[in-house]
Amino acid sequence: MLELVGVVHRYESRIVLDIERFQVPPGSGVAIVGPNGSGKSTLLRLLALLERPTQGEVRLDGAVVTGTSGARRRVTLVEQRPVLFRGTVRENLRFGLEVRGTKGTDMNRVIDNVAGRLGITSLLDRRRHELSDGEVQRVAVARALVVEPDVLLLDEPTSSADRAAAQTLYRALAEERARRPLAICLASHQLEDAYRWADDVRALAEGKLAPVTPENLFRVELPPGTGDAGLKHVCVGSIEVAATTDKTGPAILAVSPTDIFVSREPLASSARNVFSGRVTRLSHRRPGVVHVAADVGVELVAVITEDAVRDLGLVPGGPVVFSFKASAVRVF
Amino acid sequence: MDFLAEGFRRALALLFSADAEVTGIALLTLKIGLLATLVACGLGIPVGFMLATKSFWGRRAALTVVNTALAFPTVVVGLLLYGLLSRRGPLGGLEWLYTWQAIVVGDVLLAFPIAAALAAAAVQGVDPRIRRTAQTLGAGRWRTAWTVAREARFALAAVITTAFGHVVAEIGSAMTVGGNIRGQTRTLTTAVALYTSQGDFGLALALGLILLLLALLVNVALQVLQGRGGVGHA
Repeated sequence: MLELVGVVHRYESRIVLDIERFQVPPGSGVAIVGPNGSGKSTLLRLLALLERPTQGEVRLDGAVVTGTSGARRRVTLVEQRPVLFRGTVRENLRFGLEVRGTKGTDMNRVIDNVAGRLGITSLLDRRRHELSDGEVQRVAVARALVVEPDVLLLDEPTSSADRAAAQTLYRALAEERARRPLAICLASHQLEDAYRWADDVRALAEGKLAPVTPENLFRVELPPGTGDAGLKHVCVGSIEVAATTDKTGPAILAVSPTDIFVSREPLASSARNVFSGRVTRLSHRRPGVVHVAADVGVELVAVITEDAVRDLGLVPGGPVVFSFKASAVRVF
Repeated sequence: MDFLAEGFRRALALLFSADAEVTGIALLTLKIGLLATLVACGLGIPVGFMLATKSFWGRRAALTVVNTALAFPTVVVGLLLYGLLSRRGPLGGLEWLYTWQAIVVGDVLLAFPIAAALAAAAVQGVDPRIRRTAQTLGAGRWRTAWTVAREARFALAAVITTAFGHVVAEIGSAMTVGGNIRGQTRTLTTAVALYTSQGDFGLALALGLILLLLALLVNVALQVLQGRGGVGHA
């Protein structure tokens, strides 16, 4: 188990990460989702033991990591824009194995095996300037996999990949996890990818883990003062969201997808937030459950059952109304 | 013009006849230059690595000192070293004053900041992801440093050639602590100065050409070494 406990990390005097506890259990698939600048890459670098937290601890199997070289051999990070060393792709794949003293014949067997699974066999004799960004990304993942880490940390691993390459990568990762207890922690800003393969999706915003799922997270500026009945009207894109909060200034506003009522017409209800729009996407992520994305001035996502989708006659491009209470809006 | 042409003719004749004095001066200069470069780079490059990669109290001040030392006048270094090595100085017991060893020490003092400052700049120029990637793949301190050095090898080769060039071209320190003693501490630069002042332009020119040739040879040798490691391939 790899975990961060009571971590506060600063660059200069600015807090970039403030996390009570973050765990990557053995064999798990954890996705961290959040917008650019939310602290995902910093979180991964701390987990990879490449940076020491300003405050707090990194623990591996319950023990606080003090030295790094031994622990680093169990945790490997692939950065968002990875770099390859001088030399061929094969030489790059040899690097981690050489460091671990693997013998030549074993080395070639492992390299050929991983290269085959990631579809980079034809690239083995090429040099870095002969590869596309997507190919570099796949080689970097292969380079991390050949050393068989206990925890593989991936920062936006498909940001340069086309659809087919991304599928190959996720398939290879799934095979690896089926073969041995490999934990993968992946940072992405693509919710679809995160939900497709991760067992656990966690949202990160402004360096803090959000207490809700990663949909419907908005960075907002809360106006000063208290409005009527403790309500504040906060601009989110082109709409105004009513929220109950006494906070002011920069904040993250979140609405859980399960707290949104979906209808075809505006409902007569106590909900202070009622927005009409059009369905943009219907995603079937778990059996019987549908994520309905709609453009109501901003994109909001609601979770409803398949039966409800059928009863309401929701189709992409069709009309829809989203309603939620002001008290359902989380501000942090 | 005749004076210049005559000078060149005499210089070439001395070079091709392998004049014993000229050869001796050239070999001594090469010995001093290589030894001083080896020691200065052997100490300076690791210090440069440390300055570029480690964060410690006083790092900025150390970088400033090293960068300032780049412009240290050679004759002042010679003067300070003279004070240290003279009979009444703290290192007088070594009896190194007016020996080639004293010239080596002076050259090391001059080339060390060059090696450290340029190596620090070379390492800082390497993409920081290279270092992080080596570390995350399990490399220890030395393997990580080697990996970074491989990426910076053109710049590090330039550090060595610059240090060597500085060492063989300096005259102030060599003259002050070496004394320009014929057959013992006379280097190419001190000899050029002497023979020019004596009006032997041809001999001075011959020695000057050898100096250029030495610098060229060291550059070519380094390039050949880089080539064996795959120069031109990324």
